[in-house]
Amino acid sequence: MAEARYLYCIAGGQEGLTLGNIGIEGNNVYSIAYKDLFAIVHNCPAEPYKSEDKEKVKLWLATHAHVVDTVWESFGTVLPLGFDTIIKGEEGISPDQSMKLWLMNDYDNLKRKLAKLDGKAEFGVQILWDPKIISENLVEMNPEIKKLGEEIKSKSKGLAYMYKQKLENLLKKELEKEAENNFNNFYAQIKACVEEIKVEKTKKSEENKQMLINLSCLLIKGTSRILGEELEKINNIKGFSVRFTGPWPPYSFV
Amino acid sequence: MPINIDEDNLKHGVLGLVIALVEIIKDAINLQAMKRMEGGSLSEAEMERLGEALMDLDIAIDEIKKEQGVTESVKSVRDGLDSIVDDVLDKMINPDRWRKEAEEKGL
Repeated sequence: MAEARYLYCIAGGQEGLTLGNIGIEGNNVYSIAYKDLFAIVHNCPAEPYKSEDKEKVKLWLATHAHVVDTVWESFGTVLPLGFDTIIKGEEGISPDQSMKLWLMNDYDNLKRKLAKLDGKAEFGVQILWDPKIISENLVEMNPEIKKLGEEIKSKSKGLAYMYKQKLENLLKKELEKEAENNFNNFYAQIKACVEEIKVEKTKKSEENKQMLINLSCLLIKGTSRILGEELEKINNIKGFSVRFTGPWPPYSFV
Repeated sequence: MPINIDEDNLKHGVLGLVIALVEIIKDAINLQAMKRMEGGSLSEAEMERLGEALMDLDIAIDEIKKEQGVTESVKSVRDGLDSIVDDVLDKMINPDRWRKEAEEKGL
């Protein structure tokens, strides 16, 4: 029995819409309106979609994204919601009414946000580096470390081991300083080309690469060229690589 | 944290855990050794002996890992521990996260 509404996103406009059975688990996706806002939903039981099966969950996430994308393409502006946002019916109120009440209670906020995100898109920027290459550079550039490296060659086994530890510790400290400098510089560089910027957690990457910075950027649609050029410059620096993704609906800026 | 246990991977898992802990202790010893060295409280002969002992320990651990085939296992224990520590630190720096999680769990 459909006691709740699964919420994909909010959009603005006068006409309602039906998207057909493109929803999660093949559900029919349609709109529920309040004034000039509407919620894109499908009918669902009043509990979140959970599963141990990773493939299933991946499919659900992809379906969710697809519905939001479809609405985004048709309407240009949406407030996307995360996976598993479900509005339940309350005592004596139908789920449709609950949905309208939800829209009503947050109306001003939602309208404001829609206006703010109008015509904008989200882009993901991740900058990675190869610690080995950067370390080699640091050794070259840093006289203290370079000297230590030379000294080690002439020491006996045990002493060499101890001095090697010392070198690695020094190198680690320098690497951390480099990372911080680069983070601050890149952040400033990128911030200058975007409307809004959010710092996300860095993720573990492939074996020989480390993620330095993970950003969500909000840009006016069609203005990503300048950002692209800046990122190209960074990508061309030895030892650095950039992942530039988007445009997405502005999930991170709702 | 769900753990799948059967006889084979129990031995494997326990060994992986033990070696991960030995490595962590070795790192702590290394730290102390470095402090003594920087502090100038060691003679050259003492540093030589210490260095050799630590080096031998390194080699021994590597050999055990190779022989027993637990190199990956040890790495994943240490990665797991790293992320638990990261998580706790993150919440200390950012107490809002504790609160949010507690709320989600209905506490």
